[in-house]
Amino acid sequence: MSAANLNPILKQIAKGAFKLGNHNDPLNVVLAIALFKGINRPLFTMMDKESDPQVKKYAAFREGLTEVIAAITYVATNKILVNPLAKYLTKKTGGSFGKITNGLEFLCVCLSAALLIPLACNLVLNPVMNGVKKLTGKKKSSVNKLDIKENEVSNIAVPAQISTHKAPVGPNSLLQVLQNKYTPYNGGNMKVGV
Amino acid sequence: MITNGFVHLISKNGFQNLIQNTTAQVSIETGLKAVGRPAFTLADTHVDKETRKFSAVKELLYQLLCLGIYLAVIPFTFKKGGFALFKKICAKVNQHPEFLESITKTKELPGVKHCAIDMFKNEKGLIAIHKLSHLSPQKRQDSSNTLAVKLLKTIEKNTDWNKVPNQDKDSFMQKVLNEEQKSEFFRQFYMGKGGIEMSSIAGSVVGLTILAPELSHLILHPIMKFIGMDAPSHSDKVKKEANILDKQA
Repeated sequence: MSAANLNPILKQIAKGAFKLGNHNDPLNVVLAIALFKGINRPLFTMMDKESDPQVKKYAAFREGLTEVIAAITYVATNKILVNPLAKYLTKKTGGSFGKITNGLEFLCVCLSAALLIPLACNLVLNPVMNGVKKLTGKKKSSVNKLDIKENEVSNIAVPAQISTHKAPVGPNSLLQVLQNKYTPYNGGNMKVGV
Repeated sequence: MITNGFVHLISKNGFQNLIQNTTAQVSIETGLKAVGRPAFTLADTHVDKETRKFSAVKELLYQLLCLGIYLAVIPFTFKKGGFALFKKICAKVNQHPEFLESITKTKELPGVKHCAIDMFKNEKGLIAIHKLSHLSPQKRQDSSNTLAVKLLKTIEKNTDWNKVPNQDKDSFMQKVLNEEQKSEFFRQFYMGKGGIEMSSIAGSVVGLTILAPELSHLILHPIMKFIGMDAPSHSDKVKKEANILDKQA
């Protein structure tokens, strides 16, 4: 039987499973959790019908941003620390490079979870959220200016040309002639539209 | 001295086995989050003391509840499910030995021709054989090594000897005791072990991003009330500020 008959998804799963069986990098699971938390938590927050929409948006953005910071921290510590440190320790102690790398990968995840991510969130979240607040505040005020409310006296200035224009008055004025001609009660004193 | 001790510690077989296990990875990470996040919340001086205390306790309880729910439901369910699923997947892949060989071949090592999982009654036997492979052959043969003895017993108990391919129980156990960790014999179990880990990762995602947050939110508020930790209200803050102003006046 040819391997071409095998489902491509199944091939990928088999390949991935063999790799995981050989070496289960802790980065896989923490990144998967961060990714799905970054999607699911804001989604659940936005689905909450009882909360105020503005508060929901703020909370969802904050939750998403927290997970983005977490994912970046996990990858950055892994890429920056593990390989150079493992090489250094192998050279210095003569231990197994593979085992030291595995150990350091796990310790980097621990370091990120316990220390670096909360620290990064404390440093980054507040300034970013304040910036977002300012931005959305400005947008909101500009929207309010354009918002026309019902039964409210308009403050929009009338163009000078219109306000200063004086219509001719008297029995021969266009207005008087049209009213006399087209009103149903031509003979009466009742005037419509004046 | 310290460096040697550190390297010795992280290279130990027990530690290596622990950190290759998804459940252990997630549990330790969540446990550390339960400590780290509340500590940083308490240290944040931008917020008033009551709010900090409330948030820290809430965060601690939330992480602990997530961990509890995760450990109670996910590893058991998803390890069993992953084992059952990968029995089927391995059966299909075994029909294509050339494909299996191509994906398992590396620069240093030849490819594997067979993926062994069908011979185990449950996931315990497979995990035990994988753990045992991390011990040196000398340690595996040492009858005073309690870990090795325990793992060998687990393998014997959880293996269906009628399904062991092309060999009897004795020759199989001889290979278990003598083969090197990266030998073809032990590498035939990688896909099954990886399948269980893959399923555990999926379970961790479902558990920690959907199930645990929803369940813990249901439990969290009653617990917070029970321990007398109500959310600091706006009126409390206003009262406090008014008191301060009165005193200053």
